[in-house]
Amino acid sequence: MNNFEPKIIGFLCNWCSYAGADLAGVSRLQYPANLRVVRVMCSGRVDPTFVFKALDVGADGVLIAGCHPGDCHYSDGNYNTMRRYPLMLQVLEQMGVDKRRVRLEWVSAAEGPQFAKIVNEFTEQIRRLGPFKKGELAERGAKVG
Amino acid sequence: MGKRITIDPITRLEGHGKIEIFLDDTGAVDNVYFQIPELRGFEKFCEGRPVEELPRIVSRICGV
Amino acid sequence: MAKLKLAIYWAAACGGCDVAVLDVHEKILDIADAADILLWPVATDHKYADVEKMAPGSIDVCLFNGAVRNSENEHIAKMLREKSKVMVAFGSCAVSGGIPALANFKRREDILQRVYMDTPSTVNPEQVLPVTDCPVPEGVLHLPEFFGFVHSLNQVVEVDYYVPGCPPTAERIWEVVQAIATGNLPAAGATVGALDKSLCDECPREKSNKKIKRFYRSHEIIPDPQQCLLEQGLLCMGPVTRGGCGGQCISANMPCRGCYGPLPGVLDQGAKYISSIGAIIDARTPEEVKKILAGIADPAGTFYRFGMSTALLKGANR
Repeated sequence: MNNFEPKIIGFLCNWCSYAGADLAGVSRLQYPANLRVVRVMCSGRVDPTFVFKALDVGADGVLIAGCHPGDCHYSDGNYNTMRRYPLMLQVLEQMGVDKRRVRLEWVSAAEGPQFAKIVNEFTEQIRRLGPFKKGELAERGAKVG
Repeated sequence: MGKRITIDPITRLEGHGKIEIFLDDTGAVDNVYFQIPELRGFEKFCEGRPVEELPRIVSRICGV
Repeated sequence: MAKLKLAIYWAAACGGCDVAVLDVHEKILDIADAADILLWPVATDHKYADVEKMAPGSIDVCLFNGAVRNSENEHIAKMLREKSKVMVAFGSCAVSGGIPALANFKRREDILQRVYMDTPSTVNPEQVLPVTDCPVPEGVLHLPEFFGFVHSLNQVVEVDYYVPGCPPTAERIWEVVQAIATGNLPAAGATVGALDKSLCDECPREKSNKKIKRFYRSHEIIPDPQQCLLEQGLLCMGPVTRGGCGGQCISANMPCRGCYGPLPGVLDQGAKYISSIGAIIDARTPEEVKKILAGIADPAGTFYRFGMSTALLKGANR
């Protein structure tokens, strides 16, 4: 696992977490360039399809970040995110994907340092987990046609 | 070394089957092998499914 | 008018799709009039060798049902693709893996172990497993290779049309046959024999606000026959499934399991269902969410009941 640089896709909501990421940048807080950001208007826009597709096309980890519950710019978009998330993790697990590869965090526009800390931690976690291979049980010798 | 006749697939029943007939030098049947070239594994993949879902799953063992 | 050259083949299948074709009842005589059947193992005695001898394009339409589970399925799929002008993925197995693709939750070795060694009624003291090449005194016998993954038809050959359903209903099959016979098909790649709207559109039940406080497994309640099943807490996949089946399961008071596949433009039916469920759970805190979701037994096996070949995550064996 030398020189493994995780590719992490981050879906950040426009009003809170993207602004929080921006603040981290402006404040010159270091966080790894492993995170590739996709700005969405609301974390509620993050269809589980995006998460699964990201893993399918080569992401090693996926971060979803939204406003704290109660603070959603659209009132309750992030409640949808909150409700989908555990079900999505369950499905990931059943599909043989380590559920630690997907994470949901609430980050406000003022939380630059928290954002940097989250990305640092998450990147290290993914680095420890190693590259994502579709079907992580594949290396146990299942023969593929 | 006699002739080999392969019947593939066997037909007009549900499922896949293949018959290999080996004839001896006189043309009489020496040996016959019946093979089933299919396996789906219901015995394994039903494990972990909720029991009340099984009627709708195992009914697909045979749709005839 | 030249007869339509038709082939109907089954791979890892149950025969249900073939029987569904016969379910058009007396219209089968119209089909027999209009078509020359060149291969249909359940009903005619044509052999693979007969098809091998055909020139490419000799078959006008091939209705291919069943998933691609082994090398024979793949070989015949490729052979039929070469010999056929139009290849149709017929039924949920060919379209997205179907029930046999539930095996994608399991590893190949575990399947073989269970089937040939561990099932209670199996007597196999020498632990014999099937092999692809088995020497016998007279020669070598061949069996197909059992793949580590169940494929949908379009993962091994190019598919022209998709007819979903487990099985497709007789009414839809008749429509598809007529469309083929009259040359009235949409552009290649289309799904035919199914609506472009969800099952909810066809479903006659009363629908109101969905705010689920609790999910029930099918055996835990006797649902009200008039009210939407999802509203009653049953995991009905109607919202994320194409209509066209006539809601047969719904009329039997059983929730839909999604066999008609995802709606147009949807990449992953199960992912859409996660989204749908998220939208209708009545919960404002993680603890409440957890409590309600605990009522769902086997999410992946339910949401991907018929689509484990084409799921974006594709299961353990990839």
